[in-house]
Amino acid sequence: MGMAGSGGDGIVSAGESLISAAAYEGYHAMMTKSFGSQVRGGESSCRVRLSTARVQNPGGTLDVAIALNWEDFLKFGAELPVSGDTVVIYDSKTGVEPGQIPLVGVTPKEVFAVPIGEMARRAAGTDKAKNSVVLGLIAGWFGIAPGSIVRGLNKKFAKKGPELLAANERAFHLGEEFAKEHPLATPRAMAPPTSSGSKMLTDGNDMCAAAAILAGCEFFGGYPITPSTEIMQFFTREVWKYGGAVVQAEDEIASIGAALGASFAGKKAMTATSGPGMALKTEILGLATIAELPLVIVNVQRGGPSTGLPTKPEQSDLFQAAFSASGDVLRPILAPTSVADTVDVTVEAFNIAEHYQTPVILLSDQEIAQRKETVDPIDTSRFTFIERKRPTAVDLQSYARFRMTEDGISPISHPGMKGGNYQGAGIEHNEQGNPTASGKVHAAMNAKRFRKLAPLQRRRDLFRIDGDPDAPFALVSWGSIAGVCREAYLRATAEGLAVKLLVPWLVYPVAEEIYREFFGSVRAGLVVEASHQGQLYRILRMYVDVPRGVTSFARDGANPIQPGDVVARLRAAALALQSPPSAQQIACEE
Amino acid sequence: MTTTNAPLPTYQAKDYKSELKPIWCPGCGDFGVVQAIYRALAAIGRPPHEIAFVSGIGCSSRIPGYTTAYGFNSVHGRALPIAQGIKVASPELLVLVAGGDGDGFSIGGGHVAHAVRRNTDITYIVMDNQIYGLTKGQLSPTSPKGLHTVTSEYGSLEEAVNPLLYVLAYGANFVAQGTPADMAGLAEVIEAAIRFPGFSFVNVQSPCVTFGEDDQQVKNHRATMQSLAKLGHDPTDRLAAMGLAQKYGKELHTGVFYKNPDPPPTMNALIKERQQVLSEKAPPRSRIFDRFLQT
Repeated sequence: MGMAGSGGDGIVSAGESLISAAAYEGYHAMMTKSFGSQVRGGESSCRVRLSTARVQNPGGTLDVAIALNWEDFLKFGAELPVSGDTVVIYDSKTGVEPGQIPLVGVTPKEVFAVPIGEMARRAAGTDKAKNSVVLGLIAGWFGIAPGSIVRGLNKKFAKKGPELLAANERAFHLGEEFAKEHPLATPRAMAPPTSSGSKMLTDGNDMCAAAAILAGCEFFGGYPITPSTEIMQFFTREVWKYGGAVVQAEDEIASIGAALGASFAGKKAMTATSGPGMALKTEILGLATIAELPLVIVNVQRGGPSTGLPTKPEQSDLFQAAFSASGDVLRPILAPTSVADTVDVTVEAFNIAEHYQTPVILLSDQEIAQRKETVDPIDTSRFTFIERKRPTAVDLQSYARFRMTEDGISPISHPGMKGGNYQGAGIEHNEQGNPTASGKVHAAMNAKRFRKLAPLQRRRDLFRIDGDPDAPFALVSWGSIAGVCREAYLRATAEGLAVKLLVPWLVYPVAEEIYREFFGSVRAGLVVEASHQGQLYRILRMYVDVPRGVTSFARDGANPIQPGDVVARLRAAALALQSPPSAQQIACEE
Repeated sequence: MTTTNAPLPTYQAKDYKSELKPIWCPGCGDFGVVQAIYRALAAIGRPPHEIAFVSGIGCSSRIPGYTTAYGFNSVHGRALPIAQGIKVASPELLVLVAGGDGDGFSIGGGHVAHAVRRNTDITYIVMDNQIYGLTKGQLSPTSPKGLHTVTSEYGSLEEAVNPLLYVLAYGANFVAQGTPADMAGLAEVIEAAIRFPGFSFVNVQSPCVTFGEDDQQVKNHRATMQSLAKLGHDPTDRLAAMGLAQKYGKELHTGVFYKNPDPPPTMNALIKERQQVLSEKAPPRSRIFDRFLQT
C-alpha cells in the first residue's frame, strides 16, 4: 500500500496508525517513509506492506495507491509504482476524472475518486482528519484490523481530549461506510494473521541503539546527521538508566574522539553518523586502529556524494568504510539486513570490537534505519557478550600493552588499573607503547594488527547462505537490498530455477574461503546492491575469482530494486547459459 | 595479631617521571613544564595509574610519555574531545590535557569553547610558543602579526589569537598563566588548576629555543614577568581578568587571571545525579526491547 500527500496531510501518520494496528493484531508488516528534504511541508509518502508471513522488503508495485493530490504522488516516481493490478484511491477534490488520472502507461485495476477532504470536514470540521478517513477506507475495503485501528486512535488522541477523538472516529467510520457503499469489483480482504500475539514494532535506528545498550555500551558520542540521528536520541533517553552517558559533541570529530576516549577508559563506546560525518571521523578511526581500541562506528548510509540525497537510501559508502584511511588499515565492516537482525549485528559489532580491540563499522542504510518493521519478541538470553581481554596479575608485573602474541591480541589495561600504565598513541610504538620510527617494529606491528583479524574470515555464522550448494545460479546481496534478493530467491526457486543466495553480515574483510566455496558451482548470477558503482561486486573481485557469469546489478539509491527485477535478470542469465556459446566466447574461455 | 596504621602512600615528583628521554631541544621551555607538572601531581598525591594524560600532536604533545601516568598521545587538535570522553566515562580519574598553541587554538580551536561550556573536571595546559616547532618553524595561531617565518617570508598578515581572552570569553571558571622562568609559580598554578572543580585552563609561555624570538626566551621572561598577585589583581573579578588578558603578547602576566569563587556543578556531577534518578525506575538491560511491543 503506498500513500502520498503534502506534508500537512498526515499521510505518514495514517501509515503509522495502520502498521501499529497490524502489529497489534499479529500481522507481519513493514513501513517505509519517504520525504522531500524539507523540514515541514513539501511532499511526503509512505509504503506499508502487510502479510501473514514474514515481510522481507517493502515490496514492488502497489496493491493499493492512495493520492491525496497527484502532484505530490508523482514526485515519488518509482518509489510508488502503480501497475495494472493496483487499486487507486484519490481525493476527488483534485478535480481529476477517474479515467484521466495522470499515470502514464498503466491502467490500474480499479480507480476510486473519494471526497476525502470533504468527508474529513463533515466528520471533524477540519481537513486534518483526512488521515482518519483514509484509515477508514483501508479498513472498509481491505478488512484490515478495524478494531485495532480504532483502538490505536483512542491511544493516539487520549491526551488530546475526547472531542478530537470522537471527531476522528467519525471520520474513520465515514471512510469505512464509503468503502462498503462502493465495494471493490474484485474483493481483496486481507486474511487474518496466522500468529496471534502482538509483535514489536520498531525501526533500525532504535533497534541499533537498544541493542548497543543491551551489549553493555556505556558511552555514546554523537552529532546530529540524517538519517542516523535517532540513534543518539534513543541514547539520550535511555543510557543514563544503565550508568552510561551521552555527549552531543560540537562536531563529528569530537563525537568519535569522545567515544574513543571512553573506550581508552575501559568502557564500551559507540558513535553514529552518515557518510559525510564518516569522512570527518576518518582520522580518529585510524587512531583507533593503531591504538588498538575497541569502538563501534555506525554509518547509516544515505545517497551521496556530499549532501547527496540525505533522506534516501543508498549503499555507496562501502568503499569509504573499507578504504578511507591513511596507512595500512583493516577494519571489520558489518551490515544488518533488516530491522530484526540489526540486533544481532549490533551485538556482534561490539563483540568483535572488544575481542579484537578494533574499530568496527556497522554499515546500515536509511531504509533499514528508518523503516518500521514488525519483529517477534526477542529472547535476550540467546546473546553472549564479549569483554576485552584484561591483563592478569602476572601480566601486570611486567606489563607491555602491545605485547606480541600468537593471535595478535594483547591484554588491554585502562586508567585506574594499577601496573597497567602505558602510553596510547597514534604514533607507531613498540610493545611497551613507546614511540618508535623503526621499520622493523612498524612491520611487526602492522602484521600483528592484521593477524589478529584473520580468524574473522572463517566466521561462517556471519553469512546467511540458502539453497542447493551445487546450484549453478547465485545471488549475492547485502544490507537492505538483501531482503529484496531473499524474496527474489524464493520466487526464482518456486519457478524451478536452481539458485542459491549468499548474504554477508560481515561485508569486509572479504571472507575469501567462504566466497570461493560458494562460487564453486556457480555459472551465472548477480551481485545486487543500491549504488552506481556496484561497490560490493568490485570489492569481491579484488579478493575472489568471481565467475565470469556473475555480474553486477547495481542501481543508484532512491531507485528501488524490486524482487521482480532481480528474478527477470536471473532468468535472462539462465537463458543465456542455455543458448550455445558463440565462437568468440569459446575463444575467450580457452 | 597486630594492626598497623599504614601511612597513606605519598608521592614525590620523581614518581611521576618516566624513563623516556624527552626529544625536546636542549633548553626547551617544555622541560620546565613537565617538571612543574611532576611537582603539582606530587602535591596532589594521586597515584600515577589514576591519572589519564591526553595530548594532541606537536613537540609539547609528547609530554604524557614523560610521565608515569596513563598517557594518550592522540591526533592533532583532538586531545580535548578524547579527554572529555575519558572523564565522562570514568569520573574518578584525574584527567590532564596538554598540547601546543597550534593544537589548541588552530586545528583544535573549535573544541575549546565546548570543553569550557561542557565543564568536565579536566585541566588543559597549553604550551604556547607562538611557533610550529615540530614541523620546523612555521607560523602558529599565536604568532605576532608581522612575524617572519618560513611560511611568512615577508611577515605574517594575521593578528595573533589571544588564548587567555578567548577562554575567558568562553566563560571558563579557571584561567591562569605561567612560565618555566618561574618554576614555583608554574607548579602552583597547575596544582590550583587541577584542584579546581571543573574545566581549568593554564596557558604556559613555553619558549621555543630553536625557532622562537629572543624576547620569548626564559632569560627574557625572568626580566619581564609580572605576578598578578603582586599587581593586586582580584582573581574573582572576570572583567578585570579580561582587561589584563588584553595585554597578552605585550606583557607577561603570571598567576591566576580568574577563578570562579562559586564554581557551577561539573558535568560529571550533573551526569551522576541524572544517572541516580533515572536508574531507579529502569527495567533491566535484558528488557530493553520491551518498549517496542505493541500493547
